[in-house]
Amino acid sequence: MRRPDAPPDSPCQVVDDGGIVVAVDPLAYEAGVRSGMRRREAEALCPSATTLVADPGAEAVAFEPVVAIVEALVPRVEIAHPGLLFVPIAGAIRYYGGELALVARVEVELGGGVHLGVADGPFGARMAASQASAAPVLVDDTVAFLAGLDVAVIGVEELVDTFRWLGIVTLGDLSGLPRAAIASRFGPAGLAAHRAASGEDRQVHPRSVPEGFAVEDQFDPPLADFDQAAFAARNLATRLLDGLMPRGGMPYLVEVEAMSADGDVRSRTWRSSHPFSETELAERIRWQLRAWVESGGVPGGIRRLRVVPGDLSDSGRQLRLDEDVASQEDARRALIRTQALVGPDAVLRAVPQGGRDPAERVGWYRWGEQSGTPERDLAAPWPGGIPGPMPALATRTPIVVEWDAGFPVRVRLGTRWEPVLSWAGPWRRTGRWWEGQPAADRYQVVTSAGAFLCEVSEGQAFVTGVYD
Amino acid sequence: MGHTYALEPTHYSPLVGESTGQGSVGGGLSRPAQPGGTAVDLVVEPGRVLGLVGPPGCGLTTLGISLLATATTTEPVAVLDVRGWFCPSVAWEAGIAPERLVVVRCSDRRLWPKVAATLLEGFAVVYAEVPRHVPDQALRRLGALARSRRSGVVLRSMQGDLPTGLIHLRIDGVAVRWGGAEGGHGRLKRHAVTVKASGRGARGVERYLEVTDDGANTMRLVPGLAVAPSGRAAG
Repeated sequence: MRRPDAPPDSPCQVVDDGGIVVAVDPLAYEAGVRSGMRRREAEALCPSATTLVADPGAEAVAFEPVVAIVEALVPRVEIAHPGLLFVPIAGAIRYYGGELALVARVEVELGGGVHLGVADGPFGARMAASQASAAPVLVDDTVAFLAGLDVAVIGVEELVDTFRWLGIVTLGDLSGLPRAAIASRFGPAGLAAHRAASGEDRQVHPRSVPEGFAVEDQFDPPLADFDQAAFAARNLATRLLDGLMPRGGMPYLVEVEAMSADGDVRSRTWRSSHPFSETELAERIRWQLRAWVESGGVPGGIRRLRVVPGDLSDSGRQLRLDEDVASQEDARRALIRTQALVGPDAVLRAVPQGGRDPAERVGWYRWGEQSGTPERDLAAPWPGGIPGPMPALATRTPIVVEWDAGFPVRVRLGTRWEPVLSWAGPWRRTGRWWEGQPAADRYQVVTSAGAFLCEVSEGQAFVTGVYD
Repeated sequence: MGHTYALEPTHYSPLVGESTGQGSVGGGLSRPAQPGGTAVDLVVEPGRVLGLVGPPGCGLTTLGISLLATATTTEPVAVLDVRGWFCPSVAWEAGIAPERLVVVRCSDRRLWPKVAATLLEGFAVVYAEVPRHVPDQALRRLGALARSRRSGVVLRSMQGDLPTGLIHLRIDGVAVRWGGAEGGHGRLKRHAVTVKASGRGARGVERYLEVTDDGANTMRLVPGLAVAPSGRAAG
């Protein structure tokens, strides 16, 4: 699969919110770029590469046909993230007449460009798939296969660094050590790594799902708008985890089920290598709904949405010492109710980012969603930027300013004229002339009624900030 | 949660307030020594409503947000923005980390009391702009809710006044002076806001205070301004 915005003839790489490369095309791969690298390192290796930011929602939409094809061959597939699918094949092997026959059938149905791996357990299968470039990798002895892999595949950077420092460089070295010693020295993370290295994957089903525990919402009229469905997804994720937490469990796996207005029921299973947090769970449900809505999978809208947990763990979240769980929880509940009152677009968080104007320096995103990558680099110099302190209020209101010999003399505030006591500037912003954006001069203007940030562009003056 | 001046400095707000011997120094404000004890505590107290009254431009938003920043250094903070103008940079400069700040926009005056009440139920400190024509009754109910939930509230009036009896400490913006910008040179660096404090939090006496911000994102009170005459004869 290829993103439509990826350039066809030049190298390209995709980075996630944290600036880590998550996908590369063959040209970038040839230049030495690999998944897991930092963006800066990748761009240094291949300066001509186009860097795109990952959009998991769009990827889920693109991945949906792949999932549908595999699901038609083998039921109960589990999506880990868009692009990675686990398929339990114990029953299907007998039906199709062996692993080879099944894999060949999947290859034929999907066409080229897929990486297929078969092994015991999700971790081994993922490692096998990651090694499969031209042909599928079918592993007979999972423990022996894993033993030759570099310890870095565990994916926990701090743990891997310590292992290397101790001379443990492969998963075989790790699995050869006594499990009790690893557990004693490295705790639960070390134990999980040792289990994975030994081909045992993670410990499954430490707790059973309470009988019939599921959360669902009915919608009348059916939800046809994706934004509404996304909001419902958040509520369901919250209710599911609120219901499970008192029982001491967090799900590794959830089944998302949607009933369309026509009565058709569709379901998908999502799996995670660690227990789902509320944000992650809401994200998965949202991706799935987007995939269904955009592919026309739920004609007439969603009448019922249901989430069923599976594979519970007893893992809890460790709080910081100064973190007050009660106040965090109270605030979270209050914000969920507030979102129901004013809508998700009116409950916001913000991150600092680079820019020349006060409004540009704030990156807004909806509360409860992951903060996006800042559009502008905070560390860049931004010549022509307004110096601090920033105005407390950012607006864009036309204002009448009277000038005399190039100096602002008085400004009209409401119905009265206020003389300008002092002023500073201008800070010139050169607009993107190639996009038709005009240049502008910004002034700090002080009157007896307060200080304002004014922008003069194409002969018109605006108040863009109030130093309140 | 005791909101006192003896808080540790936040990582955003280095202390620059002068040491005054008697007064202790806090994260955002320093209290000057005053003979006979201080009459006004510029703090957001749990269960109390602090009212800010004055037109835009008189420095009350920065003051209110700075008070919010000193009220808590770890808990989440909510800002109810009526006009959609609030710029979070001022909160970051005051010491509220981005991950602790949530901005809720609500311009509908009929919905506003419900949204404000919902936020009060979940947050220890809330800064809320009050739109025009919100009934006094709704504001009094909010005050009662703040008392019962022990939430600290800063109400910033958009209509010029707030109902009497609701506000524990009322701060009226009187004047603001900016320094640093002169005839096209320099830039805005420091400002001094003169405010009038009244209400029970000011011991029932109107007092004029000057709050200065010297550009280091830290504000301090300047003593020595005259106390408003009480109108009663001594003795």
